[in-house]
Amino acid sequence: MFDIRRISSSRWWHKKKSWIFLGIFLFLVFVRLSKGTLYKDFFYFISKPFWPGQFQKEVILKSIDQESLIKLNLIKKDNIRLRKILSLQESSNNDNISAAVISRKTGGWWRQIILNKGSKDGVEIGNIVIGPGGLLGRVNNTSIFTSSVILLTSPESKLGVWVDRSQTNGVLVGSGDDHPILVLYSKNADIKVGDFVSSSPASSLLPPNIPIGIVQSIDKTLESKKTAKISLLAKPNVIDWVQILRTNT
Amino acid sequence: MGPNFENKYLMNKFFTNKLSILSFIFIPIIFLWHPNWLGFLGVQPYWPLFWLLPWSMINGSVNGSVFGLFLGLILDSLTLDNNFSQIPGLMFCGFLFGRIKLNNDILVGHFRHGLICSFGSFLCGTLHLSQILFKNFSDSNSLMFISGIKNILAEVFLTGLFAPFICSQLLRMFKLSRIKLN
Repeated sequence: MFDIRRISSSRWWHKKKSWIFLGIFLFLVFVRLSKGTLYKDFFYFISKPFWPGQFQKEVILKSIDQESLIKLNLIKKDNIRLRKILSLQESSNNDNISAAVISRKTGGWWRQIILNKGSKDGVEIGNIVIGPGGLLGRVNNTSIFTSSVILLTSPESKLGVWVDRSQTNGVLVGSGDDHPILVLYSKNADIKVGDFVSSSPASSLLPPNIPIGIVQSIDKTLESKKTAKISLLAKPNVIDWVQILRTNT
Repeated sequence: MGPNFENKYLMNKFFTNKLSILSFIFIPIIFLWHPNWLGFLGVQPYWPLFWLLPWSMINGSVNGSVFGLFLGLILDSLTLDNNFSQIPGLMFCGFLFGRIKLNNDILVGHFRHGLICSFGSFLCGTLHLSQILFKNFSDSNSLMFISGIKNILAEVFLTGLFAPFICSQLLRMFKLSRIKLN
């Protein structure tokens, strides 16, 4: 009789080779359909060290940094000289005290930080505290070893500030959240989102031109004033070291 | 019994007896500690209530409100807000907590502590916010109101969350020291 059954190993799906081919075929179909995305991304990573201009970019950035630093120093010197001529209040780096933040309450009702330098180190009530980015607040209370700083975000804080672009004076009021409110006492005050806010040159409490923040959003204009939310440049919730400026009036 | 043993015994007795007072001293330190990782939306649980609840439950309303006043005085001195005070809220909470009877069921006790402390922190938060709004009434700042509500809700949530763990332990310790005192 005929043996009509085929030998099982002769079927194509029992051969390893055919599965490999099928896998390669499917992979190539995927590559085709994805328009070579995988290859392109792979190439991106392996060619990264050889990109043109990468090294050059770093060199250029470094020299730009150096140039800005030199310019800044020149402008600072110029500023001090001019302030002396006009007999305005001075801010110098000689009176700075570095202090560490030992306690911070930056959320909730109370917005204050406590520093590890107190009256023993010459800190006085009313001294200005700055951190990386700009102004943080003012010293409100000192003990022998510590000083408490009321932050700009505290509802108790009210400071005279300066909108640089439109050369307008305003008041920065803490609102109890992370964004204090800038109040401009003029209905037609020129203010835009992105405007830079610094300490007012006319202020008797603060040294001039300390960066404070950037206008984040402008609220509805009220009867006689305009208010805006400010995004602060210095973040008190992450800063560990600050500078206390002893310039006091 | 040697002098060393006697010293140790006296120390232990002192610590058990004065446990409530010693823990009272630690409240301002924890209040100042303010670790960011423990907070929610930058807000911390309202620490003084964790101590005030067991204290008032054991010692009654009058004692509770007096210690509420003491706590308020200390905490007000630590914060720089001269215009807003925590005293009214803490005194009121101390009085209310003193009216609550002790419950022997441990599980019910745990949940009850959470709820009571949440309610207490809501009261204190509302009183604080009303002071801020009253002071800034002329500025009519709705922004302050919104951030205040956020603060209250976060504080209520956190206080309720931590209270069952801390209050129950403190209550047990206070009871223990009271028995030993008597």
